[in-house]
This record gives sequence, structure tokens and C-alpha cells, in this order.
Amino acid sequence: MSGQGQDAKFFQRGKIQEFRQELQIAETKDKKFTKRKTVLKKIVANITMGNDMSALFVDVVQCLGTPLLEIKKMVYLFLINYGRAKADSIHMVIPNFLQDCNDRNPLIRALAIRTMSYIPIPVVLDNLTEQLRHHLKDRDPYVRKTAAICVAKLYAADPRKAERGGFVELLRDLLVDSNATVVANAVAALSEIADRPDGVVFKLNLTVANKLIAALGESSEWGQIYILDSLLRYVPETHADAELIGERISVQLQHANSAVVLTTIKVLLYLMNYMNNRTLIEHICKKMGPPLVTLLSSGPEVQYVALRNILLIIQRRPTVLKNDVKVFFCKYNDPIYVKLAKLEIMYRLANEENVKEVLAELEEYASEVDIDFVRKAVRSIGRITIKVEAAADACIRSLLSLIETKVSYVVQEAIIVIKDIFRRYPGRYEGIIPKLCENLDALDEPEAKASMVWIIGQFANRINNADELMDDLTYNFLEEPIEVQFALVTAAVKLFIYKSSSDPVKALVHKVLKWTTEEVDNPDLRDRGFMYWRLLAINPTVAGEIVLSEKPAITNDADRMDRGALDQLLLHTGTLGSIYHKNPETFIRGAAGRALADSPALNPLSRQVLVPVQRSGPSAGPLVVPGPGPIEPGTGPVASSPLPLNTSKPSPPLPPDSATGGLLEGEGSGGEEDEDEDAGFAKRRSGVGAYPVPTDPYASLDTAFGNRTQDEQMDAMPALMMPFI
Amino acid sequence: MAIDGLIVLDSANARPIVQTSFRSFPPAYPLLHINAYSSAVAKAVRPEDVDPVLLVTLPDEPTACCHLQHRSLTFLCPISGDLDPLYAFTFIRTFLNILIEYFGEVTAPVLRDNFDIVHQLLEETLDAGGHPLTTAPNALRDIVLPPSLISKILSVTGVTGPSGPSTNNLSAFSSPIPWRKAGLRYNHNDIYFDIVETLDAVVNKNGTIITSSVLGKVDVNCKLSGTPDLLLTLTNSHTISEPSFHPCVRLNRFAQSKALSFVPPDGRFTLMEYRFDPSASKPGAAPALTAAAAAQLQVQVPFTLRASLSITDHGGAFELSFTPRAGALEDVAVELYLGSGATGATCTCRKWWQRVDVRARAAHAALVPRALRLRNPRCHPFRLRAGYGARRCGARSRAGMRTRAPRARRRYRSRCLQGALLSALKIDQLKLSGETYKPYKGVRGRALGRVEWRVEWKGG
Repeated sequence: MSGQGQDAKFFQRGKIQEFRQELQIAETKDKKFTKRKTVLKKIVANITMGNDMSALFVDVVQCLGTPLLEIKKMVYLFLINYGRAKADSIHMVIPNFLQDCNDRNPLIRALAIRTMSYIPIPVVLDNLTEQLRHHLKDRDPYVRKTAAICVAKLYAADPRKAERGGFVELLRDLLVDSNATVVANAVAALSEIADRPDGVVFKLNLTVANKLIAALGESSEWGQIYILDSLLRYVPETHADAELIGERISVQLQHANSAVVLTTIKVLLYLMNYMNNRTLIEHICKKMGPPLVTLLSSGPEVQYVALRNILLIIQRRPTVLKNDVKVFFCKYNDPIYVKLAKLEIMYRLANEENVKEVLAELEEYASEVDIDFVRKAVRSIGRITIKVEAAADACIRSLLSLIETKVSYVVQEAIIVIKDIFRRYPGRYEGIIPKLCENLDALDEPEAKASMVWIIGQFANRINNADELMDDLTYNFLEEPIEVQFALVTAAVKLFIYKSSSDPVKALVHKVLKWTTEEVDNPDLRDRGFMYWRLLAINPTVAGEIVLSEKPAITNDADRMDRGALDQLLLHTGTLGSIYHKNPETFIRGAAGRALADSPALNPLSRQVLVPVQRSGPSAGPLVVPGPGPIEPGTGPVASSPLPLNTSKPSPPLPPDSATGGLLEGEGSGGEEDEDEDAGFAKRRSGVGAYPVPTDPYASLDTAFGNRTQDEQMDAMPALMMPFI
Repeated sequence: MAIDGLIVLDSANARPIVQTSFRSFPPAYPLLHINAYSSAVAKAVRPEDVDPVLLVTLPDEPTACCHLQHRSLTFLCPISGDLDPLYAFTFIRTFLNILIEYFGEVTAPVLRDNFDIVHQLLEETLDAGGHPLTTAPNALRDIVLPPSLISKILSVTGVTGPSGPSTNNLSAFSSPIPWRKAGLRYNHNDIYFDIVETLDAVVNKNGTIITSSVLGKVDVNCKLSGTPDLLLTLTNSHTISEPSFHPCVRLNRFAQSKALSFVPPDGRFTLMEYRFDPSASKPGAAPALTAAAAAQLQVQVPFTLRASLSITDHGGAFELSFTPRAGALEDVAVELYLGSGATGATCTCRKWWQRVDVRARAAHAALVPRALRLRNPRCHPFRLRAGYGARRCGARSRAGMRTRAPRARRRYRSRCLQGALLSALKIDQLKLSGETYKPYKGVRGRALGRVEWRVEWKGG
């Protein structure tokens, strides 16, 4: 900053002198103000490049008297930039402001109030409040529309003054203005005010809602978005109202602007909670499908937003895109984030009827060249195996054929999913274990290796040379990554329990446990080693019962979101919340929580799962939201546990990092189920992109369910930890 | 419901060219977003693989950064509230379209040369609070004078020309219709319709179509005087489904009579987009949605491609035979991605196939063709043999020890052009009311095919 910074400063000062001189020269002889225009242009260019021009304040302000719009505009631009910093000299400009506020030209009137609203200094605001009242009733719509936005600015600067001045009421009057753009801007201003934590409540009644809808046709696309979004503030009192409004806005689904379409869908989804007519709901659902599909033919960024939203919508209203799985087949030049989002939806839409097509498509993807994409495709095959029982045989066949490709990452991914398949369908596919064992040498990723070790340990009684395999695998025990070490320890113990008579096995177990307890640094692993050792020492039979206890079958329930949470997220359709599948108030400060409002018309089903709105405090700590790409190690657990529970919950004895590794094995009792559902898909941190896991929104909503869930969790925690204590 | 601002970056050096002032934010705010974007790009394997909505974790408040790439430019749009990212994207697109309207080619040097105009445009389209203001190009033209030879000469000679934003010409704002200004005059009243249909299909290795869809788009160039109210009727309108319209089209009217009634904006705009649904052309077809999947199969891919590809450790060879189905195809291009280590392709091709190598974009592999692209300006049935060399390259496996031959994709991507529309959609009649003249109507239709053809892949 030393030499160069000084130079730059010096340079600037010189420039300012130069500009000042030029302006002074321009004052005397300036035909048609061309000179001033040129200088001002230079000054503005400097402002936008970040050079400080505030020293020229007095000189620039002098130009305000020039009756040329272009010059006025540039001076105002200057004022917007430096007005706040030059609070002591701003009084010089006030007369000019007032003059312009009453100019004959509406463009200048609007410009003046707009500029004033950007300078939040009491003197300016005082004068603005005087003027604004007239401008809200100006006969020119352009002035009225600008004035509406200025009210929001005024409110942001001084809420009290705005409320005392009755501006909110004046804005409400504008909601029924004859000009659609004015209406739209009034809506935007009111929404902005209402979204502030200290703002007024902005609710619509049926009459106003209908008026707003009538204005939709003539507004610009931005105005339509404001108006549609504001309809979420209307709580229907009867089913008929909701149905009527739903029908009236559903024509907007044919709008060319994708944001309008998505906002319309959001409002429709909201209104459906208040509808009762099954056939109408079905009809609207059917109508929503095609526009969503159409969004997929836009640019990749629009596709991405659409796909993330579709993923939410199909969970709540499966009929929307029931028969359209083919639309989500990936094109080879789709960007990776689109492909991954499509895969997730393909998995959701897979059912017994279309599973054949989906599976064929996924197999095709598994031969692609993008490694991340291939992994995710293989993983999706595994998830579909678990989801659609009828297709399990076909899935296993395709997984085996993938293993035969011998492409390292495909094989590894396949082995990871096969582990879960064994859990889901016990006793059906163990015949393929020898095939898996052939690929032992290809495994170089911790997760795949750990999965393979789990398989060997779990089925050690069926694998003849299990002890030899384990002997090989433990050869580099101390150099293995921690999750593999965990898996190896447990597998060794299982092997011992199966084959306790064999001497080499005894030696192996002894060797592994000795390493674990004496040479391993990780306290969790060491504790686990001690625990096993004692279990085995005290009573090997009981140890066998504990370690090889019956495991609950894996289900995909964890993939499903809670209805109430889903309803709430759907109110944020199209917004950041729906992209990250989190409630925005949990990760965006100042975002207002939204919740379904209760009314006589609310669906009984929706009411059952009603989640009351909560205004959360500042979120604890930085929050990392997993995108669809690969998740870096270490960020995963943070993302999946933004629990606001840390005060009420006994702090877990294991740090989260190693806890995941430790539980990967998932033997023992208590927390088993909880862990396994996730272990399959969500909590994978190595490997490919675990998606923003479906359990996420749930996690962030914990407090919303009241104490009930908290208590349950409190109960669950000790049980979860039991085997390790 | 407002975006924070807009930053236009030069993608080459990630430096901002133009940006809004971000007045209500700390000075570092735009820089932090630029940094977040560039570090995300640096991390990604390919720049186009970066998530379009980046979450930026600022010390006090996380925000999101929407970004869009256009040639050598990147548009960043930070949003700090819970806003629809599509809103940001549509704004970027709109602004980009305005720039294209003004400058034609939009690149970093063009924007730098016309800095003052771009900045004025930005000021007019987005107010400091993040609300879009005037985005209709014809209204903007009144406020911001587009660059022209005359204005350039005038600025050089120092003479004031036709005073740009004339203070008394407020037609843009007095017009009751936001997308059309009042009082337009043309000597010839012309309106041109340009219908483009795009076939998007995936064909599997057996030659059966897996998915196919036809999307149509009606672009209009309108040069009509006054405030004409148009009524457009279409023949074969039953074959189109899922239409979406420019805001000027009266949606209720379309729902009733399938005719488009609208007051057109001035200049170029997209009137309508639609999907061609062949199942609807048969009377008494099953309800659209259930039959859609099956019916889409009926849209035929206008050519067949037979191809095989075999890959060895040191390269590969492929064979390609291309047969157009009936009809006149015009410009055919076939592209094959050869894998990231491919070194050079040789092919024996006749003169009507031009070879275009799509070179790798990464700097370190500047000379390595990653994809082979063949173009055939006319369209003849043709057989082609080719081979290419390959370097073994380190696989991106975690161990990083193994090497493997580059894997070519098992996909051919081909594009072709056809003179006739697939949907046989026609503009039947254009009625004008509200004005007295009779407009000239020009209609052109063409179809574009984008087909992904999967092939068998041998060796490895």
C-alpha cells in the first residue's frame, strides 16, 4: 500500500484539481453546456471506478442550476454517492431539490425525489416527507411509481417518521391505482417495508387481491413478480376464494419470463393448502407440470434453479410430473450441476413402471467420462435398488456389470452401494461376494475400502478365505485412513466371533487390537479398541450378540421430508431457500420466516403439520450449505447439523468428525437406525457429492417442533453413545 | 424483493468493467463477491461447472451470488435477501439483451469503449435499491442514446447534436403500455415473423429414440406505426402445447380462442415459445400428459448415424456413416469428445466435410484437441473413417498413481438445419385494428436439430 497507494492518491488529487479548473472555465463560456457535460461525464466515470471525487462537491453542486436533464442526472448521481458523506454542506442543495420537485417535467420531479430518498440525512428527509405526500398523488404515473419506492427508502431510513407521516396508508391507497406499474411498485414498497423486522404488517384482503390480479395483465414482468409474490400475504377465508384466485392466476403459467412462472407456481402451491376441491387441485397440478418442463429448455442457470425447485415440488405434489421422468434424462453437454440435480430427480421419480428406462439410462451415465457424474449415477442405481424392490435383481445385475468394467472409481462406488443393498435385502444377494472380493486391490478410497471391509467382516462366515483377506487388509493398518481403521477393527472382531477357534484369526484380532490401543493416536479409535477388548475378554458370547446383533433393514425414509417442513419450504419456492433446501431464516439474516397462516379454509391435512413461524436469532456460527458438487471433507457435518440445540443437549463425547467414521460401522444397538439411514447416502463426506441432504431442512427446523423432538433426541443421545462409553 | 446490484466482469482477468454502486453495502461488498466467484472458478475443473448460485459466506451475513457467462463477460448479481435467483437471472438476461440491442456484439472491449452508455443504461434499468426500472428497449432508447456514427462524430467535433434525452419527449413514460411507447412512425409498416423449431433428441445405440422434444420459438421484428392491436391466427395450432408468451399477449384471449391478440412492442422480441406435441394432431388422442411420453417418439430424427468407436491404449479409431432421411438438411455438424488426453486426430474425409477441432480451453492443454468436430455444409450420405492418438494421462483418482487411456465419450453430438418446420405450424392471418394502414407481413420458418447419438464403445 505504501509507494503505489501514495502515487495513486497523488494522481487523484491532481485530477481533482484539473476537473475543478475545467468546471470553473465551463462556467464562463459554455455554449449549450457541452463543456460541463464532458467534465461531469469524466467525474462520473471516475466515481464508478471507485475514485473518491467528494472534494469536488461544491463545484459539482453549482451545476445543478443547469436546465439540462442530462447534467442534472449526473449531478444527482454525484449527490447520491457523496451526499451522505457531505452532510454539513448538503443544505446548499436543498433549494435546488425543492425547485426540481416542482418542475414541470415529471422526469425531473421523479429524479429529485428519488435522489433525496437515497440521502438518509435528517435535513433531506424532512424536506422529502413534505414533498413526497404530493408526489404520491401526482398526476403523472411515472412520478407516482417513483414516489412509491421512495416511501420504502424513507421507511428504511426512519420508520417512525414514515409511519407518523401516514405514508404507509398512502401506499395502501396506491394499491388500487389506475396504472398497473404504480400498483406494482406500491406492492414492492409495501412488501419491502413488511419484510423488515420492525416493519408494519402487510396483509391483503380478497378485494385488494382481486384488484391486484386485475393489474397483472398490464404490468411489466417485474411488476408481475412483485404482485404475484404479494399474493402470499393473502390468507383465503373460504375454499372458494382460494380456488377462484388460483384459477385466475394460473394463466400466468404461460408467461415467457421464467421468474414469473416460478412465482406463479409458488402462489398456486400456497393456495392449494386452502383448497378443498380434489379435481381442481389435480387440474392445477397438471397445469404446473408443462411450464416447469419448459424451464428446462432455458439456459443452464435457469435449469438449475428449476430443477432444485422441482425436487421440492414433486415431494409434496407428486402428481405434478409423475409421468415425465424422461424429461430429466441428462444431455451430455449439461453442466455438472444440472446433471447432478437431474439425477436426484430421476431417483425421486423412479417407480416400478419406469424403473427399466431409468436404470438403462443410469447405466449409460456410468460409462460417461465425468468422474463425479459417474459416481453419482452408480450411487443412484444403488438407491433405486433400495427404493424399488421389484427392480432389485436388475439393479444388482447392472452393478455387477459395472464392476466388471474394472474402472477404478466405478468399482469403488458400486461396492459402496452394494454394502447398503446387503443391508436392505438380507440373505438375497450374498452370492456375489466372491465377485466383490476379486476387486479388493482396486480399492484405494477410504469409503470404498471401509465398505468392503464391512462386507468381509459381516459375512466372514461365508467367505472361506476371510482370514487371509483380513490379514492382507490389515497389513498397512497404521497407515490407513481413520474410517478404514474403524472398519478394520470391527471386522476383525466379527471375524473372531465367527471363527474363534482359528489360531491365525486369534493372532489377527490380537494384533489389530494391540495396534489400536497402543499405537493409534485417535482417541475414539483407541476407545473403541479398549471397548472391544474388554467385551471379548469378559464374555465373548455376549460380545458376539452385541456386535452381530440383528440390524434393522435400511429404508429410504430418511430421504423423505417432513410434510410441515416441506409446506414451509414451498412457500419459498424459487428463492434461495428452495435452492439449498433450507429455511432461509436459518441462513440469511433478516429473512422473514414464512409459514402457512391458519384460516377456516386451511386443509385439515395441512393444518396437522402446520409449523408455526419462528423468528430465529442470528444463526450460530458460519453455516456451510452443501451444493450439489463434491463436498469437501470437513464441511459436511457442519452443514448437516446447524442444530440450535447446543445448549440443551449434552455435548456428544465424540467430535463430529470421527463420530461419523466411528458410526459408519453401525453395529451395536441404540442409535443404529438413525445412523444407518444416513450412512447410506447423506453423510458421505469423501466420495461424490452428497446432495444438500434431504434431512437438512428437518435439522434446521428442530426447534419448530417444540420440545417434543428435543426430548426425544435427549433420550436418543445416551443410547446412541452407549456402545462407546 | 430486490437484488443488490450488478457487476459486469471481464472473464479474462476477473476485473470489473461496470458495476452498480452498492450504496447501501460496505465498500468491500462487490469485491468479496468477485473474489468468491473467482475462487469458485479456480476450484472447478471447468469454469462452466461452477454452481450458478454461489453461497458467499461473508463475515456478518451470508449472501448468494448469481452469475452468468456471456462470451468473454461474466455478470454477477449478488443477492442478500431471500430472493428468487431466477429474478436475478432474468434481470441479467434482460440487461444483456439490452446491451445486445445497443451494441450488437457484446464483448469486454466493446463495453469498455462505450463505458458511458453502459453506465447510463445500468442506472436506468436498475435503481439503487435494486428494483428494475425501465427495461423495455424502446423506452430506453429515448433516455439513453444508442451509439451511432453521428453521435461519435458529434462528440469528437464538440457540436451538440440532436439533444439526446430531450426533455419534452416523454412518450416512453406517458404511454399506458409499458412495453410500447406512444407515437411511433414508420414509412413502411412491416412485421416479420421468424419461427424456429429446435429438435432435441437422444438416440441410443440401437437407433431408437430415448427422448425427443421439439421446442418452437416465434421471434418477431415489428416495425409498425402508432399503437396497432394485432390479432394473429394460426393454422395447426392444435399441434402446439405448453405455449408461453411475451407479456404483451392477452393470455385469457388465447385460452378462449387460441388466437394471439396483442399490442406488439417495437423492434425485436420473442412473441411465443411452445412445444410441438405430435400426439395432439390426431383427433381423439389421449389426454396430453399421459400420452406425451409415447407421442414424443413420433418426432423423427431427420437422419441416421451409424458409428462405431474402438479405443486402445494409445488412441482410438472410429467409423461414421451418415444418412439423411428425406428432406433437405443444410448444415450438419458432428462432434465427438475424445477425452482429455487426446492428441491429434486424423481423418480421411471428402471435401465436403470440414474438420473443425474444438480445442481444449484449459491453458496448459492448449494444443490438445479434446473434441473433434466435423461440419458438412451440404448434406450427403457419407462414410468416414478416422483415428486419433492419445497420451496416457493420470487419472484423477485419489491415489493418483494409476494411469489410464483417455476415454472418449460414447456420444456423438450432431446438429443440423432444415428448411421446413417440423410442426407444420403456419401463420394464417394477421388482423390489425386501431390503425388504418395495412402492414406487410413476412414469415419464415426453419428447424434446427440437436441430436445426441450414443454408440457402442469397445476396448479400454
